[in-house]
Amino acid sequence: MDYSSRTQSATGQGVSFWLNAMALAGVCVSLLMAFYWQIVFNELPCPLCQLQRVALTLAGIGMMLNVRFGPSAVHYAIIMASALGGATASARQVLLHIAPGDTGYGSTLFGLHFYTWGFISFVMMLVFCTVMLCIDRNQLSTPRVQLSNRSQANTRIAFLLMGLFLLITIANLVSALMVCQFGSCPDNPTEYLWKFGF
Amino acid sequence: MIMMLPFLTALVAIVLTMRGARIPSIIGWGVTFIIFVVWLQYHMTDKLNLSL
Repeated sequence: MDYSSRTQSATGQGVSFWLNAMALAGVCVSLLMAFYWQIVFNELPCPLCQLQRVALTLAGIGMMLNVRFGPSAVHYAIIMASALGGATASARQVLLHIAPGDTGYGSTLFGLHFYTWGFISFVMMLVFCTVMLCIDRNQLSTPRVQLSNRSQANTRIAFLLMGLFLLITIANLVSALMVCQFGSCPDNPTEYLWKFGF
Repeated sequence: MIMMLPFLTALVAIVLTMRGARIPSIIGWGVTFIIFVVWLQYHMTDKLNLSL
């Protein structure tokens, strides 16, 4: 077996599938944690926080495309562009609170604010794409692998993850409506503008 | 700036991906990304409530 055909084996595509599925699960966990703090501690997201959630969702779409259709250079470009956008938003928020005496926005997790964790996450996504583009280098221009061609267990896990990601995005849509309605978001939201009778 | 709009277009892209429509999903992602960049530019350049 020559080098090219060895790296294009089904095992290689399996590794790519599982790593992208794990990355998508990581995005889901990040968004769920943001929701936990929003609901349990009533910490409403500021406009830049919401935009970081949008960037996480955009990057998740790239991972989802890799899981659904197999690895592609376009899918990794989608993740990288989303991560760069998200890193810009989170870096901007870090710089907003860099002045001496500023306690930052919201609570902390392991000593870092959520927007700082956001910046770390987006940089990690860029590292992820760098590694994955090396792993998938010989599969990027091959015909797409449809999910139906994968094993039943892989298909179930993929649709479970994609379903969870879909539900989280619907929840974010409702949350954005409740916090901002159809107008401009308040800089420092303290209560929901739309309470849906709660 | 309607904050729910990028979530709505992202939701459309996710549904299209699940249904197996790859190219329309990528177009949906592109539309969401453009909205994200415009919204980000607005919120990064609005007046800050700082007293330095």
